[in-house]
Amino acid sequence: MTLLDFARGPAMQWAFVIFGIGVGWRLVGMFLLLRDRAKATARRDAPVSDGTRAIIMRSLPAKELEHHIVFQHVSGYAWHIGFFITVLFFGPHMPFWKSILGFDWPTLPSEVITVVGAITIAVLISLLVRRLSHPVLRVISTADDYISVIVTILPLLTGLISYANIGFNKETNLALHLLSIVLVLVWFPFGKLMHLFLAFPTRYKAGADYGRKGVAA
Amino acid sequence: MSTHEASVSRFQALVAGLAARAPAPSGSESERVERAKGVFRKRLNAGMALNLECCLHCGMCAEACHFYESTQDPKYTPIHKVEPLRRFYRRELGPLRWLHRLVSHDVSLQQLEQWQELVFDSCTECGRCDLICPMGIEISPMIGVMREGLTEAGLMPAELAGASAEQIEDGRVLGAGVQEFDAMVGALRGQGVDVPVDKDQADVMVLTTALEIRMWPDALAALAKVMNASGANWSMRRAAFDASGFEYTSGNAQARRAMTRKIIDEAAACGAKTLIVPECGHAYPALRWKAADEHGAPLPFEVLAISEFIGREIDAGRLKLRKSANGGSMTYHDPCKVGRLGGVFDEPRTALAAMGVELKEMESHGKTQYCCGGGGGVMLIDRAAPLRKRAFEIKMRQVDDTGADAVVTSCESCRMNFAIGGDGANWQTPVKSLVQMVAEHLD
Repeated sequence: MTLLDFARGPAMQWAFVIFGIGVGWRLVGMFLLLRDRAKATARRDAPVSDGTRAIIMRSLPAKELEHHIVFQHVSGYAWHIGFFITVLFFGPHMPFWKSILGFDWPTLPSEVITVVGAITIAVLISLLVRRLSHPVLRVISTADDYISVIVTILPLLTGLISYANIGFNKETNLALHLLSIVLVLVWFPFGKLMHLFLAFPTRYKAGADYGRKGVAA
Repeated sequence: MSTHEASVSRFQALVAGLAARAPAPSGSESERVERAKGVFRKRLNAGMALNLECCLHCGMCAEACHFYESTQDPKYTPIHKVEPLRRFYRRELGPLRWLHRLVSHDVSLQQLEQWQELVFDSCTECGRCDLICPMGIEISPMIGVMREGLTEAGLMPAELAGASAEQIEDGRVLGAGVQEFDAMVGALRGQGVDVPVDKDQADVMVLTTALEIRMWPDALAALAKVMNASGANWSMRRAAFDASGFEYTSGNAQARRAMTRKIIDEAAACGAKTLIVPECGHAYPALRWKAADEHGAPLPFEVLAISEFIGREIDAGRLKLRKSANGGSMTYHDPCKVGRLGGVFDEPRTALAAMGVELKEMESHGKTQYCCGGGGGVMLIDRAAPLRKRAFEIKMRQVDDTGADAVVTSCESCRMNFAIGGDGANWQTPVKSLVQMVAEHLD
């Protein structure tokens, strides 16, 4: 079995198993802690609209609080958008999406994806440097924060290397790219990448909690 | 003498000696840690688990905190203040606890001691950080759990522990017990102010505060005048007259429950349909939002902040105020616990408009206002004075920027903290009570 066979075969299959079981385990374990609901009469009894509003509004600038956090907001949007453009609109990725979804969609020229990928890596590295140097981030950062950003950079980096066909031979480059995705899937349930599943419920809860007090959060 | 010096001197006399009353911590180190962990275990729920699981450690919450903003010290980052709780959750309750036990240390007494300053001295539980988090993490309720845990471990700051002991052992808050209450009611009646007490039947039960009894009798007189002018069938209760229990902020859950129970029972005894919380920020969320959980069901009466009651009565036409010929300009300080954590924003402004006040809003007002820096019992903690002063400077600057002649608020803790901060900075801007202003403008 070649490295590429391993990456495409058992490594990827086990990665999906760990991803699925891990995400399920973590979500179920957390929600098992559900306890009594608040009993005070709500000032405003519209949890669904207040919660949904918070999901949307927390994606937007926070008005007067925003001037302090503009860098985090802009950089956060930049790399998330760049990451998903690369994953979803790179031509060589499309056969994968079509094989699991049964349909495809237009892709972007590879040159554009290359630029987007490079910018995304640059933003992620700048965030990593910031985490290492900013006094607040140094105090609150954990190993998860560093591992998660490195694990996120690796597929972009190996993808660029693979596309540029530099370093190892083509087959090994592709295998390394696939293994970097395996790493993302395996790490996902253990670290903060889980926010993909947790962010909206948390926002919803904040919106509903403050909403019942009559405060738009 | 500065505008605020007299108030500050009186307050200092009231709180002197509190720290000396603090009981010594009981139990071994491990027993104390276990007691704290017992609170964490009991109070952590799925909502808090979501909060602790979802943090990306982006650090944005620091930018919302007046203690961080005024000092730039990273230890004041709000999410950092709940680190022991996060560690406990990950090691003992979270779904990956088996993994976290391998890679992290257990919560220790030394860690809890280190966190005492972070959850008591440098957090007023104002909730501003809750509003900035891009993930929607609510940090302020977790600070409450931290405080409760530290209290169980015998780590409540001495001043708060002393105030708590005074209340539990003597039935007094800052020296205000039922005798002082009776004396104050008698004095007000002597001045011709009708203060109904222990009526058999009353639609509205009204609470007062230790600060009103011990420092600002004019505020209690104003409260009575406003209630009388509204035409409500109201009464105070000797067995539960005080809203200002430090149990609401100190973290003593047992004493808080006992106090809440007493108030609920007394309201039921007179058949009250409404409970009015005076100008006491901490009591409002405790009674409006948390008391029902301790009661186990929705309360059999509605709970209103006095500012909320006044605004509603004005809107309903039952309370008529005359406009000042020259009311001057004022800015309104939204008390965190009544505003951001309570939802009362419009009613006090309705009252100010009815009095003809020219309202000049601060840059941060309403739900994003800055705390004055003294809430959550921080005002009582002596060693927190320098930090409190720094945080207050933000508020002072925002008030000054409005160019208003005075600040008005509807929380006595805020008023007191403005006085202390203003006195220290030789800041002369007057700070007024909304209820007293309303009483002066009764038609």
